[in-house]
Formats: sequence, C-alpha cells, structure tokens
Amino acid sequence: MNKQVDSFRFLDYLTKQVVKAWIDRAVPQAIPWMPLSKPLADCTVALISSGGIALKTDRPFDQEGERQNPWWGDPSYRVLPRTATAHDVGVYHLHIDPSFALQDLNCLLPLQRLLELEEAKVIGRSALHHYSFMGYILEPKTLLDESVPAIIRHLRDDQVDVVVLVPA
Amino acid sequence: MGLVQREIEAAGMTTIALSNIPDLTASVCVPRLAAIEYPFGRTLGMPNDKEGQMAVLRATLQALVEMDTPGSVQHLPFEWSEPPKKARAHPPEPPPIAQHLRKHPWHLPNLMARNVPK
Repeated sequence: MNKQVDSFRFLDYLTKQVVKAWIDRAVPQAIPWMPLSKPLADCTVALISSGGIALKTDRPFDQEGERQNPWWGDPSYRVLPRTATAHDVGVYHLHIDPSFALQDLNCLLPLQRLLELEEAKVIGRSALHHYSFMGYILEPKTLLDESVPAIIRHLRDDQVDVVVLVPA
Repeated sequence: MGLVQREIEAAGMTTIALSNIPDLTASVCVPRLAAIEYPFGRTLGMPNDKEGQMAVLRATLQALVEMDTPGSVQHLPFEWSEPPKKARAHPPEPPPIAQHLRKHPWHLPNLMARNVPK
C-alpha cells in the first residue's frame, strides 16, 4: 500500500476547517506546463521558501504590520545567496515555529543539501540566488503582481531551469 | 505557494512544490506536486538530519523528472517520527489571525471565504 499523505495531520481543528473551506471554494483552471528540457544533471536549480526568510543584513519581513492587521501579510520577497546558513538569516513567518530553521536552515530551505547535489553531479548547479516570501497572504495581489514578476526576472538572469517551491 | 508556482511555470521554468498540505496546493492546479506528511517549519525534516533532508530533496527532484502530465501528484513515503501532539507543529505564540478570531469569532466565515473585512 503506497503512502497517502494526510494534509490535515499536523493542523489544529480551526485551521483544518479553514483549509477545507479554501479547498472547497477553489475553482479548477488550466494548469501551466513547462516540460523539463534537458537532463537534471545539466539544470540550474533554485529554491523558493514561503517561510519569510531574510538575511540578517537585509530588511526583516514586517511582522508588526501583521500583528496590527491580522488579515494582512507582508507581500515582499527577499533574495538569499546559495551559501546562506542558519547563522545568516532571520525567519519571520508568524504561523510556524522558526526555531528549527534557525538551528538548521536546511529543514526549511535546503541550500546546503542542494550544493551537495551539485557536487554529486545530480543537478547541474545550485542557482546563484534563492528566494523567500511570507506564506499566509490572504490577499495575494501585490505578491503576484509585484514580487513574483521580480523573482521571475531574477530567475531568468540566473538562467534557472528548475524551481523547487517549499512551503513553510 | 501554489499561485506563485503557477506563475513561474508559465514563465517557462519547470517547477515542483514540496507541500505538507498537498490537498490545498493541488486545489489551485499546480503542474507538479510532491506531498509530504511533515509538520510546519520542518518541510525537509529535522534540524541536522542531513540524510533525511537529502532523501526528501532527492525524492522531490526525482518526482519532477518522472512527472509527464500536468497536475501530477506524488505522495512521498516518508513518515514523521513523532505523533502530531508531540511534533511542536505550532508557533510559540498563536498567529495574529488566530488571536483575532478568539476575540471576533463572527469573522471566521470571512476567513473561510477569504473575504477580508474592510
């Protein structure tokens, strides 16, 4: 029997009801599709985390704004170098326990594991830059209209072929 | 996350989400999805569990290589070692929206409908 992942295993009762309501109201739509154009061993791979991860030298995500207005989330994004580790970053997502990623960033954004896959020639290379934004944006317009196009420009500049998105 | 993935795939890159709420990610019609039953904050595994994190990342990339149909979902076989009550899956303080709903429970239908009060 193959594993069937239970989406609700680690959710509290209230969050489970909310997520179920969101799933029920989702409208089917056409699925974009870009086939892999070359072997993974020739691909440049980038990671994107919704953990609200930012370099300590960069502007933190706006937690206070979300505390003031719980319906709002900071729609900006941050760029992370491929060598970033837990020592270099803050983790600002208010819906997760950041302590694990602050011990070892790889449990949320596996940059070191990706570099090891580059060394092992499983992938072509880890991209020069990787990205993070805040999850739980109830009104995603600014995220989608401003942050995502900017991230796409960065990805193109770095000639990224494959993107792995890691929810927090 | 799924909405962001759709935009990036549409821009010409091959994408996969590694999601621990796969039913929600799949509901926005993403091209590729690897489902994992791990708690929040540790999507790849426990801190310092290099082997475990690597196994998840490798499995995700392998799924991406093998998937040839839009909307493919692969349930990864990994099992979290702790039961949900011991997994410390929640933030140190309740998220602002949860605190708000305690004081304004009549706003719950707004949240369920993603109808943000003005």
